[in-house]
Amino acid sequence: MGSFFGMMNISASALNAERQRAEISSVNLANAETTRTADGGPYVRKEVVFSTSDPAPFGTVLDQIGAPLGNLPGSVRVAQVVDDPTPPVKRYEPGNPDADKSGYVQYPAIDPETEMVDLMNAVRSYQLNASAVSAAKQMIQESIDILRTT
Amino acid sequence: MSTSPLLGMLEGYLNLVGERQQLVVANMANADTPGYHTRDLNFQSAMQQVINSGGAPTMQPTALQLTDLPERPDGNNVNIDREGMLLSQMQLQYQMGVQLIKERFHELLTAIQEP
Repeated sequence: MGSFFGMMNISASALNAERQRAEISSVNLANAETTRTADGGPYVRKEVVFSTSDPAPFGTVLDQIGAPLGNLPGSVRVAQVVDDPTPPVKRYEPGNPDADKSGYVQYPAIDPETEMVDLMNAVRSYQLNASAVSAAKQMIQESIDILRTT
Repeated sequence: MSTSPLLGMLEGYLNLVGERQQLVVANMANADTPGYHTRDLNFQSAMQQVINSGGAPTMQPTALQLTDLPERPDGNNVNIDREGMLLSQMQLQYQMGVQLIKERFHELLTAIQEP
């Protein structure tokens, strides 16, 4: 039964990671037209990088049930949030206060289609892992039922 | 408790199904992790070990990385359809194991209660 709680922890780590991915996509969409940031210049598109924790020998899996989230073999986490190196898009808007001398404004290189597809991907992966949690819950419930009906 | 060797085997079977389910869940969790390879265990040979040892908890199934699945450009080869199917399959197999264990206990109870 111990492995079921491990299963739920793995799924929980994935839910967390996918939620962060959806969050970053939303941030990108929200800032698609942002031309001013604290660092100066337009907003830079962010991307998440997922990584898996080092697969430990299989026999040690059960020893790590009490381990904090994210350290279980096979669990996933957001390793880092990286900046997209694509250069900003220039648009000719001489009236804009952020325009340079020749009248061009630098906008972030954000493509709404890419962000929407990424967002949908994150949502689907979230649903997938949520259904894995339900499966684990049902299996735990069944093993409890062995006690109940005999 | 070893009232019958079958009960021990069923216990080993449930353990095995649970461990395989954990691998399936880990694969699902890493469906978007670059470079991750699908992991699974050889269920048949592990089950054979359980039967040979009469359900003793000495067996240690090893997780294998599957390399024959088509790989995406980011080096990940998790197939969501395969994992989804295995998830429900493991769930049903677990249910079956639990039912069989219940049945064994029920038989035992009948044997005790019969005059």
